[in-house]
Amino acid sequence: MEYVSPEGLRLDGRRPMEMRQIRAEIGAVAKADGSAVFEMGNTKVIAAVYGPREVQNKSQLIGDQALVRCEYSMANFSTGDRRRKQKGDRRSTEISLVIRQTMEACIMTHLMPRSQIDIYVQVLQADGGTRCACINAATLALADAGIPMRDLVTSCSAGYLNSTPLLDLNYVEDSAGGPDVTVGILPKLDKVTLFQMDSKLPIDILDNVMQLAIEGCKAVANYIREILLENTKELEYRRGV
Amino acid sequence: MVGLSSGEKQFIQGGIAQDLRCDGRKRLTYRPIYVETGVIPQANGSARIRMGATDVIASVKAELGKPSSLQPDKGKVFIHIDCSPTAEPAFEGRGGEELSAELSVALQCCLLGGKSGAGAAIDLSSLVVVEGKNCWDLYIDGLVVSSDGNLLDALGAAIKAALSNTGIPRVQVTADASSDEQPEVDISDEEFLQFDTSAVPVIVTLTKVGRHYIVDATSEEESQMSSAVSISVNRQGHICGITKRGGAGLDPSIILDMISVAKHVSEQLLNKLDSEIAAAEAEVEDDES
Repeated sequence: MEYVSPEGLRLDGRRPMEMRQIRAEIGAVAKADGSAVFEMGNTKVIAAVYGPREVQNKSQLIGDQALVRCEYSMANFSTGDRRRKQKGDRRSTEISLVIRQTMEACIMTHLMPRSQIDIYVQVLQADGGTRCACINAATLALADAGIPMRDLVTSCSAGYLNSTPLLDLNYVEDSAGGPDVTVGILPKLDKVTLFQMDSKLPIDILDNVMQLAIEGCKAVANYIREILLENTKELEYRRGV
Repeated sequence: MVGLSSGEKQFIQGGIAQDLRCDGRKRLTYRPIYVETGVIPQANGSARIRMGATDVIASVKAELGKPSSLQPDKGKVFIHIDCSPTAEPAFEGRGGEELSAELSVALQCCLLGGKSGAGAAIDLSSLVVVEGKNCWDLYIDGLVVSSDGNLLDALGAAIKAALSNTGIPRVQVTADASSDEQPEVDISDEEFLQFDTSAVPVIVTLTKVGRHYIVDATSEEESQMSSAVSISVNRQGHICGITKRGGAGLDPSIILDMISVAKHVSEQLLNKLDSEIAAAEAEVEDDES
């Protein structure tokens, strides 16, 4: 199948280095300590953060740092064809783990010993790149909750199809079977905290694809920063400062 | 989880007794309702309802299936509710399952009528494509994104809005197969049939706190309830289903009293909801044009 037309356009009309439209909104869940909606094209996720709060299960308490927990769940209607999935299947357990480890790397857990932070991500619509969207939503929600972080982690994926590196794969491109590189970075510190790839890729091309994904992450980071700034200004205005 | 001090509890109960609740509402006033339709483009119909901090999404998906042999002239409708852990950390893992099941069953009672499908809010015979062979299976999925009490009413309203947003593709039978084969069908991707949702009821939950009952209770108020009765009422003023929750018993005369109050309240709610749905639909059309 042809994923990049001779004119250099992808199936959904994007250029190879173009991202889908991203949109974010802070404060989607009124009762949570922090929450956000993040959309990348048709992929839409909600993240809610509860905490830092008292550890619920005392046996999990850590004396010198905060306990970070994460649960990823998909709505029944999120995929194209309706599927009933029981909670806690292997795929969602793995994604929960990835998100938890990525967020744990940026939260300053040593500042909140003997406490617990819960991150819940809920996929409303899945169209490829849910992992990245979840991480971006979780970052925003953590920032909204006012949890101290080293930097805003952002994530983006890139792939390689028809000998072209492609940024931000959608579902059709994702299921094409080509390599899918998911990268998460700390944009200010310029460090990679998440790196996953399936399938195989020559090393010199991997470098290109990875650079492309990192560029994507930086673009997301700029957008997230803008949204946070806007939100803070609005809060400031409401306070009447 | 609601943690209230005894002072706060008394304040809530006292307010309800004096017909002035914590957020300034009267006993029989709803919070403002916000409706958004078409939020899930992949579904046949969807809607999001917000009432205060309660936020629910309902989606309708239609799939071609086979009618059951007992009712060859009727389609099937399935209702399933999920409570997302974003709404409350207690719903994590399997924690939300009990509430999900309770809400699903209550909605089935209120919307689907009896086992035979009699009295259902949706005309099940309109879902049949070829009698005994092909019918539409409607999967109604609800998701609780944020919860601040009165989930059942919000879900009922969301399902009503999602159904009015639903378009079922027109189906043409291309080849008439012999008696035991499945007929070939052609599903149109341009023509859609709209549902008649005027018969879909709304659900009014009356929560009894102290000696009085209130509508649209917040989770703080729900934590003080002795019992709650959910009554679904349609446009004609007919009662479509009743479920009671909560431990305390109710006097039968109070139940009858509640039903007449619910009938009265439902009229206002239906009008409000219908105008909100119409406004949301108009907005979607504006965006498209």
